[in-house]
Amino acid sequence: MTARAAAAGSAAVRRREGSVLEAVLVHLVFALVIVFFIAPFVWLFTAAFDADAKAYIRIPSVPTLDNFVRIFTEHEFGHALLNSFIVAGLTTTLDIVAVSLAGYSLSRLDLRFKSWIMYGILLLQTMPLSATMVPIYGLARALSLRNSYVGLVLIHAAIELPFLIWLMKGFFDTVPRQLEEASWLDGRSKLRALVEVVLPVARSGIGVVAGLAFLAAWAEVLMVIILVDKQDLKTVPLAFYETFRTQGGYTEVQYGLVAAMAVLYTLPVMAIFFATRRMMVRGLLSTSRGL
Amino acid sequence: MARVEYDHVTKCFTGGDRAAVDDLSLDIADHELLVLLGPSGCGKTTALRMLAGLEQPDTGDIRIDGKSVVRLEPKDRDVALVFQSYALYPHMTARENIRYPLLVRHMPAAERNERVARVAAMLSLTPLLDRRPARLSGGEQQRVALARAIVREPRVFLMDEPLSNLDAKLRTHTRTELKALQSELGTTTIFVTHDQAEAMTLAHRIAVLDKGKLLQLGDPDDLYQRPANVFVAQFIGSPPMNVLDAEVRDGALVAEGVWRLPLPGRVAAGKARVGIRPEAIVLSAASAETHEAEVLVSEPLGSETIVDVKIGAALVKVRAAAEVRPEPGVHVHLRVDPHAIRVFDPQSGDALL
Repeated sequence: MTARAAAAGSAAVRRREGSVLEAVLVHLVFALVIVFFIAPFVWLFTAAFDADAKAYIRIPSVPTLDNFVRIFTEHEFGHALLNSFIVAGLTTTLDIVAVSLAGYSLSRLDLRFKSWIMYGILLLQTMPLSATMVPIYGLARALSLRNSYVGLVLIHAAIELPFLIWLMKGFFDTVPRQLEEASWLDGRSKLRALVEVVLPVARSGIGVVAGLAFLAAWAEVLMVIILVDKQDLKTVPLAFYETFRTQGGYTEVQYGLVAAMAVLYTLPVMAIFFATRRMMVRGLLSTSRGL
Repeated sequence: MARVEYDHVTKCFTGGDRAAVDDLSLDIADHELLVLLGPSGCGKTTALRMLAGLEQPDTGDIRIDGKSVVRLEPKDRDVALVFQSYALYPHMTARENIRYPLLVRHMPAAERNERVARVAAMLSLTPLLDRRPARLSGGEQQRVALARAIVREPRVFLMDEPLSNLDAKLRTHTRTELKALQSELGTTTIFVTHDQAEAMTLAHRIAVLDKGKLLQLGDPDDLYQRPANVFVAQFIGSPPMNVLDAEVRDGALVAEGVWRLPLPGRVAAGKARVGIRPEAIVLSAASAETHEAEVLVSEPLGSETIVDVKIGAALVKVRAAAEVRPEPGVHVHLRVDPHAIRVFDPQSGDALL
């Protein structure tokens, strides 16, 4: 009896020791992961202000804005930024309109084969983008959509559409049907009821869709490479890529310039994230309930 | 102000094993308050939604003031619906909710504000007008929903269990106010409920539905005194009518094989079912006309006592005075008012007498 109690006691002690070791290991792993993710940002923000930046982290001896001045004066970065804003902004607008109509229809209409339609849309999303590169290039050439905002916006809007439709259908599923029915009975057409009642109620969903559409279009590079070869249409990732590549192959990269561009490329994304993070969290929570 | 007609309306839902609404015909007069009463799934809400234009009938016609509305969009029907969930627009204040149907109709701002103010005063909403629905109590939300329906002065009010989300006390209070409001406005109203007490107190006429079929249409007294079948008899009244298996034999009724009752009219000999309201049975002194029965339990309700007695294998509820409280096991003597006895067909359940 007492022997067993003692054994149980020592087992408890061992378990406690084990849990201390466990906690240390877990924290160590987390610390490594954090360093792994934070380090590139530290490099970005140190190298961007360093006149003689290297491929490793070092604190600049004399912080300077020289890199920023040079990317605007020597590399037309301002133009690339403007292009990126125009393309991402128009893509977001187009996606919101398309996704609102498609998601609402899929949420509300009693369609035969609805689940097949939904899975078909999901299948589109699983296609690797690079596999479609050649046909998209051919199509864009045939339709004269290369080197135009229209071509970039259409392609960028289409890339994210399947996923965003799924997401938005989930948001609409959480909006009670009685709300739009009340609006119809109050005298509104179905489209006006969607705009005046359903969309405002689903606004956190619209916020999430807008955020994701903007970020995706902002970050996309592959389609820009195949669709744009005129200098005055290039977007930030392309300008960034060319600066990185053309400075004498990959050996003599001007790290300071690249870092300065990357900082200005990242800041809008962070700004959007911090401005909409509450909406994002609320929206993503509500859609996980709705799906 | 309008007359509403349902003309042989049938509606099936895909996947349903029977019609949700089965050959419904109703003629609702101008100014009338008609209650559609029935258990859940009886088709009453579907009937209402078809009038609103939110569902399409498969066959049959629905007319408002003689004009068919089945091909009209909901927005063109000029009917207002108060939903069970109220369906207030959560992103608008109470004032904006009430004003919404007027904005839709492009009413001039001055008249709009005047109307909103008048309706808000009528429903004691004036101090709450700048609140969003989330900051209103259930009863206040219900009044905003009502105000939104009233403010546009529609041809017909439709109400889909508007009181069922209120607590019991507020429900009876609102019921009274609603009745007064309807008679003041005089707008034709169709009110859906599963609560028979609500139906009895509110209605000019009640239509009882079950499994999509109209079982009986009549004024509340009619339904209570002369139910057309066993279903209506047992759905209306609290406690409901006692319905017992019986046999018609030698010009008399024998319920549950033991209780001899006077036969109120001519019925062919054979099996039947007999219905007696709890208040039609009187506890009295023993005599040739009384029947002895054992008390199972007494339920004092303050104003009255419901005494449950055993008749054969069945349980019969008797409404007695408040001070009458027989103990379980005691034997009492029952006398029945012959005019209050109803006889039903044992198979179809339809009333024979």
